[in-house]
Amino acid sequence: MLNQILPLLIFGALLVAVIGAVKRVKLWRNGRPAKVPILAGLAAMPRRYLVDLHHVVARDKYISNTHVATGGGFVLALLLIILVHGLQLNSQFLAWALLAATGSMFVGAVFVAKRRVQPPSRLSKGPWMRLPKSLFAFSLGFFLVTLPATGLIPVEWGGWLVAILLGAVILWGLSEMLLGMTWGGPMKHAFAGALHLAFHRRAERFNGGRSTGLKPLNLDKEHEPLGVNQPSEFTWNQLLGFDACVQCGRCESVCPAFAAGQPLNPKKLIQDMVVGLAGGTDAGYTGSAYPGKTVGEHQGGPFASIIAQEGQGLLDAETLWSCTTCRACVEECPMMIEHVDAIVDMRRHLTLERGATPNKGSEVIDNLIATDNPNGFNPQSRMNWAADLSLPVLSDVKRTDVLLWMGDGAFDMRNQRSLRALVKILRAAKVDFAVLGNEERDSGDVARRLGDEATFQRLAKENVTTLAQYSFRSIVTCDPHSFHVLKNEYGDFGGRYVVYHHTTYINQLRQIGKLHFAPYKGGSVTYHDPCYLGRYNGEYEAPRDLLKAAGITLVDMERSGYRSRCCGGGGGAPITDIPGKQRIPDMRMDDIRSTGAERVAVGCPQCTAMLEGVVEPRPEVLDIAEIIANQLVDEEVTL
Amino acid sequence: MSQFDAIFQPIEIGKLTIRNRVVSTAHAEVHATDGGMTTDRYVKYYEEKAKGGCGLCICGGSSVVSIDSPQAWWSSVNLSTDRIIPHFQNLADAVHKHGGKIMIQITHMGRRSRWDGYNWSTLLSPSGIREPVHRSTCKTIEPEEIERIIGDYAQAARRAKEGGLDGVELSAVHQHLIDQFWSPRVNKRTDEWGGSFENRMRFGMEVLKAVREEVGPDFVVGMRICGDEFHPDGLTHEDMKQIAAYYDATGLLDFFGVIGSGCDTHNTLANVIPNMSFPPEPFLHLASGIKEVVKVPVIHAQNIKDPNQAQRILEGGYVDMVGMTRAHIADPHIIAKIKMGQIDQIRQCVGANYCIDRQYQGLDVLCIQNAATSREYMGLPHIIEKTEGVIRKVVVVGGGPAGMEAARVAAERGHSVVLFEGQAQLGGQITLAAKAPQRDQMAGITRWYQLELARLNVDVRLNSFADEHTIKAEQPDIVILAVGGKPFIDQFPEWGAEEGLVVSSWDILDGKVEPGKNVLVYDTICEFSGMSVADYLSEKGSQVELVTDDIKPGAAVGGTTFPTYYRSLYPKEVIMTSDLALHKVYREGEQLIAVLENEYTGQLEERVVDQVVVENGVRPDEALYYALKPQSLNKGQVDIEALYAIEAQPSLQTSTQGDDFLLFRLGDCTAPRNTHAAIYDALRLCKDF
Repeated sequence: MLNQILPLLIFGALLVAVIGAVKRVKLWRNGRPAKVPILAGLAAMPRRYLVDLHHVVARDKYISNTHVATGGGFVLALLLIILVHGLQLNSQFLAWALLAATGSMFVGAVFVAKRRVQPPSRLSKGPWMRLPKSLFAFSLGFFLVTLPATGLIPVEWGGWLVAILLGAVILWGLSEMLLGMTWGGPMKHAFAGALHLAFHRRAERFNGGRSTGLKPLNLDKEHEPLGVNQPSEFTWNQLLGFDACVQCGRCESVCPAFAAGQPLNPKKLIQDMVVGLAGGTDAGYTGSAYPGKTVGEHQGGPFASIIAQEGQGLLDAETLWSCTTCRACVEECPMMIEHVDAIVDMRRHLTLERGATPNKGSEVIDNLIATDNPNGFNPQSRMNWAADLSLPVLSDVKRTDVLLWMGDGAFDMRNQRSLRALVKILRAAKVDFAVLGNEERDSGDVARRLGDEATFQRLAKENVTTLAQYSFRSIVTCDPHSFHVLKNEYGDFGGRYVVYHHTTYINQLRQIGKLHFAPYKGGSVTYHDPCYLGRYNGEYEAPRDLLKAAGITLVDMERSGYRSRCCGGGGGAPITDIPGKQRIPDMRMDDIRSTGAERVAVGCPQCTAMLEGVVEPRPEVLDIAEIIANQLVDEEVTL
Repeated sequence: MSQFDAIFQPIEIGKLTIRNRVVSTAHAEVHATDGGMTTDRYVKYYEEKAKGGCGLCICGGSSVVSIDSPQAWWSSVNLSTDRIIPHFQNLADAVHKHGGKIMIQITHMGRRSRWDGYNWSTLLSPSGIREPVHRSTCKTIEPEEIERIIGDYAQAARRAKEGGLDGVELSAVHQHLIDQFWSPRVNKRTDEWGGSFENRMRFGMEVLKAVREEVGPDFVVGMRICGDEFHPDGLTHEDMKQIAAYYDATGLLDFFGVIGSGCDTHNTLANVIPNMSFPPEPFLHLASGIKEVVKVPVIHAQNIKDPNQAQRILEGGYVDMVGMTRAHIADPHIIAKIKMGQIDQIRQCVGANYCIDRQYQGLDVLCIQNAATSREYMGLPHIIEKTEGVIRKVVVVGGGPAGMEAARVAAERGHSVVLFEGQAQLGGQITLAAKAPQRDQMAGITRWYQLELARLNVDVRLNSFADEHTIKAEQPDIVILAVGGKPFIDQFPEWGAEEGLVVSSWDILDGKVEPGKNVLVYDTICEFSGMSVADYLSEKGSQVELVTDDIKPGAAVGGTTFPTYYRSLYPKEVIMTSDLALHKVYREGEQLIAVLENEYTGQLEERVVDQVVVENGVRPDEALYYALKPQSLNKGQVDIEALYAIEAQPSLQTSTQGDDFLLFRLGDCTAPRNTHAAIYDALRLCKDF
């Protein structure tokens, strides 16, 4: 009896699922166009899934093994179910295979269930709590109905009551697994996730690549919105990306703003975007809220304003301004969702369309517009820090081997020490270098991350024009933000350069024997990876190599490397200054303290400023250049 | 904008870029000892300032251009010979390699010197009028000599340039030869070198032209002038504006240094280097007045000691650069500390004028509170490195200057330090010194130590008298006794200290004893303490006679400070009597009778007073020392050869495990000396712990 019903159930479910899929695709297509190679993307998808995505998932061995068993079992089982029960192919081999697939899925489901017994706070609850049971229903149901096909038990067994029960179980399983996939259940992640991988907006991220530069806004197209205010103003593949979210909350657990009690949770943000693209309220959200905010009070739709105005919207602006753009969420996301892009897109709207950059934001932008630096210093004073160093200036010398990009740290008394240390090192290694002097402008990093794409693009173009007048082989900078922008974001404006972070460059100098170090006398040192050097640019090793080469005992923090915790200084966060329960740099300093190191080596002016802002007593904060300059043997080079 | 951004604006002087707005202005160092040639000591002293971030050093106050301007009295630099050139090269390199710039002040001092030694030079002056401060007579200068000296200036400037210095400052201040010509007070000539404004200006103008012609346009030439001579018959502020504008109009000068006050009397001299009795930057308005009429940058120095003050002056645009000369003597790393945000770690000049008062005695310039200054060449460090040897438990007893310095240095070395102080606050005798009127800034010395000891986590135990047991309970490896002493008022039984007939200056300054109405202060020491207690008492309304058996009350107080005491004492009708020794004190009814004996005639006279205050210095407190001495490994002895050579004490090599400890004593509990001696004792002993 069940044999007659099964094909109906299976094909029926598939049909309903397809209808759901069409509806879902239509929702995504509300987004703006994006140039995506459809076929090539689909062709690349399995590899992206099996290699790149699995690489991220595998950081959590428990869940990656569970997922292989469950997900792999399900995909195989579904194919075999169509053959064995849908098309009724009479093959003992297929039946055995199906038993194995459902068995694997069942074992996986046991582990899914186990994790749901006392789920960590980062996991969403709600329908996700039902999922392991649904997995049991699907795998067990099909296991049992497949047994006769293997010949282990008679074809007709159990009678009608068993058949009805089994049918119900199978119906439950099919509903969750197929209908849920396209009608908004937890299994949506499989459908949207697969397509998201195929049509990802940063295809460069796959095959071990890295893509972290923000995408430029076309400021010349008059009718295009500046940034994003409605879900429909995202590109369609961004919307698709949001839909891939599995609500695992790995982003939440690494987000510094969330930990600090600021009103941001990357998972909730993505889920809000999902609510927005489909329309409705966030009442159904079952994960952690934005700290300090209540769930269920926001609503949206594809063509409704996302950012609340007079309480109406999907989220509040301060959620967006809490982000430090540290990319920890992106780095951690097993679905490779691009949170930071979305946040900056919406910030662009706030700054460019509403003029609503909060707190010191508008002042900083005004300063950048008027003086080309964020703090409004006289642009002719950029070289004051080096008045006694007689640095060659490119407008005089025209060509050099290394262009030392000073960054706005040139105006800051603290960072001037790092710059001077760097100069000392370059001189000790007899490097032919020069600076742009007062011709240098802010790189545009802060403007861009505050959403002022127009100011960013102006600064970028002007810097590119200035740089074009001179000849140099590479740019070296001690500012990872400048480094990132020069290296990854100026290309869109015609500026393509070989750029080194100073730690990378100094490490190269060391490797070719141009620097010699005296024995290090201090205690142990820990190294704080700057986000814009580490996660944004993948440089984790050079700073460590360099410190070790200087004879320093390096102790890493638990959160280091790609899992380094932000200092709180990126993305204009100190400028927009959204209140939380504690300060991010205080938390970071606790990480540092827990290593017992007496010093923390940093490689970023922003990190230095944030960490030195932590009240003493605390470990000493030194730029790597300062540490290395102190270790130089060459006594002749003094500043 | 950063808090101190005005300080860190570079500035162009002539064709020279100076990295910030802070200058160490010219002062006599009194240690260019080798026949007027700059020495290693000299170079290291300026190198330290450059290392510490000072923008511009103008060295060599009153460095002479001519052989007949005697330099040996103050060991000033001698630019009258080409032998100086290689010495300058060392100096210039040392400063330049740290990004600093260095110029030298050049001058002919005319009548402002001494003739009674060395070459027995005949001093020169426009009209042969005697100079009172140096008690120097002189001849009237002849035109041939004028021409020679103009040439000497040019040659001296050439030597500075060839030696790699960045510029010269012509001294037309402090009544040197150029401003002797300027001032109608001393220039009574009727020839082309005196009389009219142009004639009085002529010598300086010819010097300037000759110097500029010799060094060309790229070498900095500045001039230091005063803003007002403060003499009724001297040059007024308006005169000085006219003079400054006149020289500025030539376009030959690159900067002016301006200070307030002439200085050819004891009283005006005290204005020139304002001690702690003056308000901050008392003469800034004069420099600012000059700035109004000249185009080139103006430097001003006088009582500018802290970064906030410097920032305020520069931000207000009163002058272009600030001289922070004593500030650099107290802490040559002041600029670096501003930049490091370590404002609280700056050892701030308190205006005790130990430096300048030594200079006027022909002694090398030293700082009352920083014993490393000008001793860099000996290896005394401004920044104390952590030890790489064993970490020891150091117990310091006594929180006066010696004890505080010992605790600071030992803690900087990384040792675990406990400091016992019997009083409720640190400071020892500094605390007493600061109680007197106009002497409150002495407490700044203690303030810095308090901050440093807190920063260095020294375990400071106030209100804790340490005895043998408390010390040993700490299980010390090193015990430092710096317990000072007691007022020595019982030297002669006839004074009646036992009977309570006399009280000490400490009792008065400390407020333990109420001031009497009619008080005799008997001061055998003739330094600050006696003057201070007299000033304190008269301030409180006492009628005071200050009596000494020495040649004059305050005789040992330096030349920039006794005038400010006098300015305070005379208006309050304090009687100052010399040459009388206190013979005996006895009671007669309610009154005390002080019997005084004339030092030279033996004649006795009496005073009827109701209080006798005796200032007879300090008697070391040795009890604790002799209790601990037999138990200590080194029997309390200091190896003075190692100490004087600034080397580690050999006894530090011995193990101090278990109950063994080393014992040292410092400061007045050894022998009564001064604050500098106490701090120097501590620094040179403890820097190798």
